[in-house]
Amino acid sequence: MPSRIEITLKPELLDAEGEGLRRKARDYFGVQVERVRTVHIVTIDAELSAEQLDKVRSEIFTNPVTQYSSLSPLNIDADWIFWVGFRPGVRDNAGATALEAIEDLLGVHLGKDESVYTSKRYCLKGALTQAEAHKIAAQLLANDIIQQWKIFSAADWDPEQGVGIIIPKVRLDRTPTLTKLSIDSDETLQRLSNERNLALNPNDIPVIRAYFLDPDVLNQRRQVGLSEPTDVELEYISQARSDHCNHNTFRGLFHYKDLSSGEEEKISSLFKTFIEQPTLALEKIKPWVVSVLWDNAGVGRFDDDHYYTITGETHNSPSNMEAYGGAITGIVGIYRDPLGTGLGSRLIMGSYGFCVGPRDYDGELKPHLHPRRLLDGVIEGVRDGGNKSGIPTPFGQVLFDHGYMGKCLVYVTALGIMPAKVKGQPAEQKTILPGDLVIMCGGRVGKDGIHGVTASSETFSEHTPAGHVQIGDPYTQKKMHDFLLEARDEGLIRFITDNGGGGLSSSVGESARFSNGCHIQLEKVPLKYAGLDQWEIWVSESQERMTIAIAPEHEQRFFELSAMHAVESTVIGRYTDTGKLHITYQGETCAYVDLDLLTAGFPQWQFYALWRSPEDRAMFEPVLREPRDHNALLLEMLARPNICSKAWVARQYDHEVQGTSVIKPLVGVGRDIHSDAAVLRPVLQSQRGLAFSQALLPFYSRIDAFHMTTCTIDEAVRRLIAVGGDPEHIGGVDNFCWPTIQYDPVGNPDGRFKAAQLVRSCKALREMCMAYGIPLLSGKDSMYVDGHLSGRFGETHKVSALESLQFSAVSVVPDITRCVTLDPKMAGDLIYVIGTTRNELGGSEYYDLFGEVGCQVPQVKPERFLRRYKVLSRAITEGLVASAHGIYRGGLGVHLAMKAMAGEIGLEVDLSAVRAENMRRNDELLYSESAGRLIVTINPDHRQRFENLFHGLSATCVGRVTGDNRLKIRGIDGRTIIDLTVPALKQAWQKPFGDLI
Amino acid sequence: MSRVNALVLTGYGLNCDLETAHAFERAGAQAHRVHINALIDGSVSLDQFQIMAFIGGFSWGDDHGAGVIQAVRMRTRIGERLTQFIEQGRLVIGICNGFQCLVNLGLLPGLDGDYTRRSVALTYNDCGNFRNDWVHLKMNTSSPCVFTKGMESIELPVRHGEGKFFTDNAIYQQLAANQQIVLRYALPDGRPARGVFPHNPNGSMDDIAGICDPTGRVFGLMPHPEAYNHWTNHPQWTRLKENLQRGLAEKPKGVVPGVRVFKNAVNYFID
Repeated sequence: MPSRIEITLKPELLDAEGEGLRRKARDYFGVQVERVRTVHIVTIDAELSAEQLDKVRSEIFTNPVTQYSSLSPLNIDADWIFWVGFRPGVRDNAGATALEAIEDLLGVHLGKDESVYTSKRYCLKGALTQAEAHKIAAQLLANDIIQQWKIFSAADWDPEQGVGIIIPKVRLDRTPTLTKLSIDSDETLQRLSNERNLALNPNDIPVIRAYFLDPDVLNQRRQVGLSEPTDVELEYISQARSDHCNHNTFRGLFHYKDLSSGEEEKISSLFKTFIEQPTLALEKIKPWVVSVLWDNAGVGRFDDDHYYTITGETHNSPSNMEAYGGAITGIVGIYRDPLGTGLGSRLIMGSYGFCVGPRDYDGELKPHLHPRRLLDGVIEGVRDGGNKSGIPTPFGQVLFDHGYMGKCLVYVTALGIMPAKVKGQPAEQKTILPGDLVIMCGGRVGKDGIHGVTASSETFSEHTPAGHVQIGDPYTQKKMHDFLLEARDEGLIRFITDNGGGGLSSSVGESARFSNGCHIQLEKVPLKYAGLDQWEIWVSESQERMTIAIAPEHEQRFFELSAMHAVESTVIGRYTDTGKLHITYQGETCAYVDLDLLTAGFPQWQFYALWRSPEDRAMFEPVLREPRDHNALLLEMLARPNICSKAWVARQYDHEVQGTSVIKPLVGVGRDIHSDAAVLRPVLQSQRGLAFSQALLPFYSRIDAFHMTTCTIDEAVRRLIAVGGDPEHIGGVDNFCWPTIQYDPVGNPDGRFKAAQLVRSCKALREMCMAYGIPLLSGKDSMYVDGHLSGRFGETHKVSALESLQFSAVSVVPDITRCVTLDPKMAGDLIYVIGTTRNELGGSEYYDLFGEVGCQVPQVKPERFLRRYKVLSRAITEGLVASAHGIYRGGLGVHLAMKAMAGEIGLEVDLSAVRAENMRRNDELLYSESAGRLIVTINPDHRQRFENLFHGLSATCVGRVTGDNRLKIRGIDGRTIIDLTVPALKQAWQKPFGDLI
Repeated sequence: MSRVNALVLTGYGLNCDLETAHAFERAGAQAHRVHINALIDGSVSLDQFQIMAFIGGFSWGDDHGAGVIQAVRMRTRIGERLTQFIEQGRLVIGICNGFQCLVNLGLLPGLDGDYTRRSVALTYNDCGNFRNDWVHLKMNTSSPCVFTKGMESIELPVRHGEGKFFTDNAIYQQLAANQQIVLRYALPDGRPARGVFPHNPNGSMDDIAGICDPTGRVFGLMPHPEAYNHWTNHPQWTRLKENLQRGLAEKPKGVVPGVRVFKNAVNYFID
């Protein structure tokens, strides 16, 4: 008989979770709640004796010091009671560990139909209306997509029954069924594709039919008992051909035309032309590049004995639907990529980039989740995913723009480290031999995540299936991570890859190419619950799984280690050299497809890209006259959502686990200013470091995505240089997030322009990589960043994101003790601005303050900038630089303020000394976002050496550090235009989010 | 003389094993990372170790109270071997999740020699969230704690969501009387934090950050000494560097403060 344990904190203890809910109700909705107490409910659907139940209640689920509990509902005074539990089939991590603990304590094994579920109820005191209660439950606590919930008023509440015993068990009363699909015409297959949500591209349909109608193919299939394609086969093809897996957009044929100049060109594959080609060229001249362009992550040399691995991706669509689940699945998922690179690498850091709508949005559009709630959810998702994985998160960005109301962006990046050799063999290489065992390791397979890949290749609408939303499980994955690294070190692993998008279909389908075939027995795949169809087992994206190939002679040892680490591993088949993907289920063939089907014959996607220059799009500089109140202006700039402090995010992310922290995300005297980049010491015995930074400047795409791209890459590089990165060793990761570029006269009338923006961005990417010498170690693209939001009258509006490129940059620091931070250290030090300030306010934060865009977007002069960076790097290495900081979003004024706040020290700056071109105004000098600039402070004793180094490289002394804790800026005419104390600056900068914890 | 052997527990979501092992090595010990299951199945015996470290992490995801399930498993399977280890005069340190596990096992506070009773707790931070920041800590120089011998104060990072120390008044009085309260959160100038956030990051009663058993050989703390294993771990190290360069500061002597905690443990067996 099922039973239920209710647990709560003793009344004398503060209920921090309840208090958080009370605060949010007040801050977000203005609803006053007096008090909230939280009750944890563990529902045990198993045959346990009364004695056993009481034992687990008291020994596992109740802390005798802080909690009390009961097998019947606890009596807690409340005006309203909310209950929130998971929907059937949603990953309940706490339920899973509860089950493990119960089995462990009682020394029993629960049956396969027995399980444990967790849920919560919240007891609220306060005079709330029904509508207010509903709002709190629906908009702060539960998300219909993954959760079920109930509201009880005091009058409705039955103290005997409580919430009742609710068991969200998946029941699929069906026998697994293999379906054969008719391909008698293109129309039939198109109809089946629509009905089954296969998302086959219409252009692919004739190719698929031709294959299955080929007489040779038919003949071979007959021998295994097949004729028409099965659902397993078509699902496999659909997954592999999806834009997410196959990058059809980036491999497409672009017809690009510049309508302003009349120039035209045809580009076949943006990937090959602008990403692969420069990276291959750079690989030849950069000896530190170890492995690029084929594996789950790129590999660079850290030192003679260690390589680092790096990759990044996005998890936008799922996060947009279920922010917490999407984000935790995203960060935990990206951590499997370095683990699946080469023979496997240990994770050493992660980073985040969140792009959402305005946090205080109060307009008419109705996104599925309000940007504030969405942001709260993604922050928590990456927090739990990163922290519980034991991987530091020392860098990240949060950015607000209306365009992300349609779909948010959740960027996640991961770095790992591996020994250069495993048992004497190169660790970055791997292959598979026929006869090797196919092993699935980690989590089990359920219905979750089915069609995630095809869903992320579509624009979000109310019909998007919710089934692809999952909740990552860092605990299961951490165990698997530790196990696989030990197996690697014992030389047991021949090949390893992760199960991400597309599940086994992708991981086995792609790895089988190494041996040229495989035979999978689907009935061996461990399931979360019975009743899945074969195709579902094959494409399910259930998380925390890796696919591994081992030689048969290692089977015993591999499974011994797996058991020791309490990790589930299963042999699900063998790799072969038959050229076929052969799948059976209890002896019956479900799929028999030539592996090379996917590499041949499918038509290239085509795009038309039409560019008009900003001038031809009637963009002009706004007509502004110089403001008079520069003090108020600077304070206002500091409080802009895209400038102000986001310390509350960084503080909830463990950024020091593994003991490797050198430059933290928040630095300075008060440990409260965002650093330019993160630096780690990943090999504890060594003084070498890894510097990491990211930049994201989508605002400039309003003018030209070419310059958006050059500025983004320049900023990422400058951030590395500012902390002491080595300009000769910079690896890059490009993560494109773009609105739909396929033209449609009704649905996407500006598709051709967005396509042109993509082409221009890619051109800029190649140009910058070649100029700065940055091989692209990894990268991903995520298209379709659009959403349709309902408005006031039930109409819908398409909202497209800004064309966004997140660029990550990594560098090796030969000696971490040479690194610098941005805080000025000593009164009397000299302040230099390196670089030239131009009249480049187009797309700037300053213009945005006035609702303007302008036209003159910052331009990167890479050769000139790089010379500067190399000299600065030398100055840092020689110990001449006391502090360094790039000038980024918001310009010189904002970043002088950052330095003053970081050092909690005064700065006196003379704007007339700032090297500038065509600048006559203080506001322009203060807020232009010209690229390539940094602010450094130096010990006056080093003045001569420093100036000699920078001779002819536009570094000018603009002032000095003072002891009076004030930022004083003199304008061009010598009058003081800004005079603000550091506390006043901090107050403004911290005002928007300073109360958040 | 053979080296002091330190066992660093791993597995089931624990995650500070590499840096804890490194800190022990820096302190002169021979560190061994050992999976919880290897202790349980007997393939590794506790007998060969002088020091045992319960490390930080999220054992079993910490879903049912931090450190609870780890404590259940270890008490059920090897509870007696653990108490024997202590009674044989060896040392145990629990850091963060390890501290949470020790209090759930009852190895702390170990009042009256009872190493099974749960009488103190580490519960949810008052601030309502996980928090990573550096804190100032003041040591109780009258404490018998082996690990903090000769130390008066230290700065260390905290990284936890459940670090609020709580117990009833009677137990608290006993802990105070026995000098078992080893570490307290402090203001930068060394005065008590008196519960003020963020100096006291979690709302711990009496600013308690770490306690020991009455013998001083079992020590648990929420902050992470192993994460201060190199002078560049300190948040202000670039400022120190600049002062050193200009002759305005003296190079700190001896081991890095975080490592000193481990060194004290190693020295206990050498002195």
